[in-house]
Amino acid sequence: MLAARPRFSRPLAAATFLAPLLVLLLLWEGLVRGFGVDPRVFPNVESVARAGFDTLQDGSLLRHVGASLGRVAVGTALAIVISIPLGVAMGLSPVVSGFLTPLFRFFSVLAGIAWIPIATLWFGYGFGAITFVIFNAVFFVVAYNTLLGVASIPLPLRHAAASLGAGGWTMLTQVLLPGALPNIVTGVRTGLGFAWRGLIAAEMIATNVGLGYMLFLARDFYRTEVIVFGMIVIGILWLLIDRLLLAPLERATIERWGMVHRA
Amino acid sequence: MTLLLKAWGLYARLTARYPAIRSIVPFIPVVALWAAVAEAEVFPRAFFPGPLEVARSFVSLVYKGILPDYLEDSLLRLAVGTAAGMALGIPLGVLVGLNARARAMLWPVLLFFQAIGDIAWLPILLIWFGFSLTTMTFVIVYTVLFPVVLNTALGVRRVPVELHRAARSLGASHARVVWEVVLPGALPNIMTGLRNGLGYGWRALIAAEIIVGTSGIGFLMFDARRAGSVVEILLGMIVLGLLWYIVDSWVLAPIERATGQRWGLVTQ
Repeated sequence: MLAARPRFSRPLAAATFLAPLLVLLLLWEGLVRGFGVDPRVFPNVESVARAGFDTLQDGSLLRHVGASLGRVAVGTALAIVISIPLGVAMGLSPVVSGFLTPLFRFFSVLAGIAWIPIATLWFGYGFGAITFVIFNAVFFVVAYNTLLGVASIPLPLRHAAASLGAGGWTMLTQVLLPGALPNIVTGVRTGLGFAWRGLIAAEMIATNVGLGYMLFLARDFYRTEVIVFGMIVIGILWLLIDRLLLAPLERATIERWGMVHRA
Repeated sequence: MTLLLKAWGLYARLTARYPAIRSIVPFIPVVALWAAVAEAEVFPRAFFPGPLEVARSFVSLVYKGILPDYLEDSLLRLAVGTAAGMALGIPLGVLVGLNARARAMLWPVLLFFQAIGDIAWLPILLIWFGFSLTTMTFVIVYTVLFPVVLNTALGVRRVPVELHRAARSLGASHARVVWEVVLPGALPNIMTGLRNGLGYGWRALIAAEIIVGTSGIGFLMFDARRAGSVVEILLGMIVLGLLWYIVDSWVLAPIERATGQRWGLVTQ
């Protein structure tokens, strides 16, 4: 999704990246002060900073962030561990993958938020339901993409490997997985995007700890400074996950195996 | 075994003639399995109803007029939100793509706001606009906007600079270059952005309907959840899935294919 930025030295790049955000911050402060906006409508910078400091000090921020990230980690890890082998197995035969593709498309469309109502009914409010929502947001998207990835490996490549004496394991690790890797990584990135949104939504509805809950609780008391602070935390966390974890992964696999072109 | 092969042969021939069958038949065993599990009462019936009950509730909700009404509400919100998101997103994307200064200024801001995510806006929107249509529309516009802006900018920058210069040296004005060179060149990317945006917007709509809760398919599902009616939740999920399947494969995919073939700049 990102166009390559020109490569300056690192500090300079960081500065050009941060400067517009700083301008935004000044604009925000200026507007709120200049027009005397009611703090219940939009808070000023100082109160948001104080809210951040307070939640940091009493440990509640850490508790909410920890709960949210824990759920994402458990749900995503579980989904990836199950969906990749399944996707590879399904993608092996063109007949099977052709048959299953519509099914997985259907379910990856539903992935995530649409499962919240039934997940809360099956698992009750709390950790189980939310982890389930994240699990299936990632699961179907990754399984579907793995299936597509394996199915798109040219058959001659597999035949060539087999005729050169590759056994099942060598075939899997040398041909199938590397060939499907760009698709798998794309799947993980998309799935996590859905899961992150699903997490926030599910936490607003179905729990008593987590970032989404923190926002929604603050709404009840018209504490806009806590809401805005929470939104900033959510934004920064996602930027960190995306930039530090997903983007490098994607770049590495795509450059290394070079089978997909970025759309 | 021969019977199975024969059946498979028949299926292969049928799908060759009517490709639509290929996207319907795979669901038959799934529904059969679902019915079998429900009949065997592996899980309590109230938690895991069978397809027949869901079909029956579909008929009754359609008969009462609830389902068509809610469906209309959801689709209208999605359509209005998407249209507004595109109307804002494409010009912004062209601006960011063409102008280096605008890009340096806006790109970090865009990335940051994209990262905040639509649903995190719900609490503060509820304070601003209450439990209203504005809240839901805002969320959808917001969701659709970013994938469209980012992808449009990407597409605009992919148009080779030689094409700009060629059009300019043949006497085209800046506006004409944008209209006849840049936009068509970026169209495949814009479509990709629209498709991504709709994928996210769709989910945002469901979440907004659950939380704001006045009408719509998301509301139908959560209302059923409150009443403990799994049948209606499942019905809602199936309707959502089918609807998106139809929109995606009959509207978006053909448009994407057409723009890709017509302008031939997509790489996939």
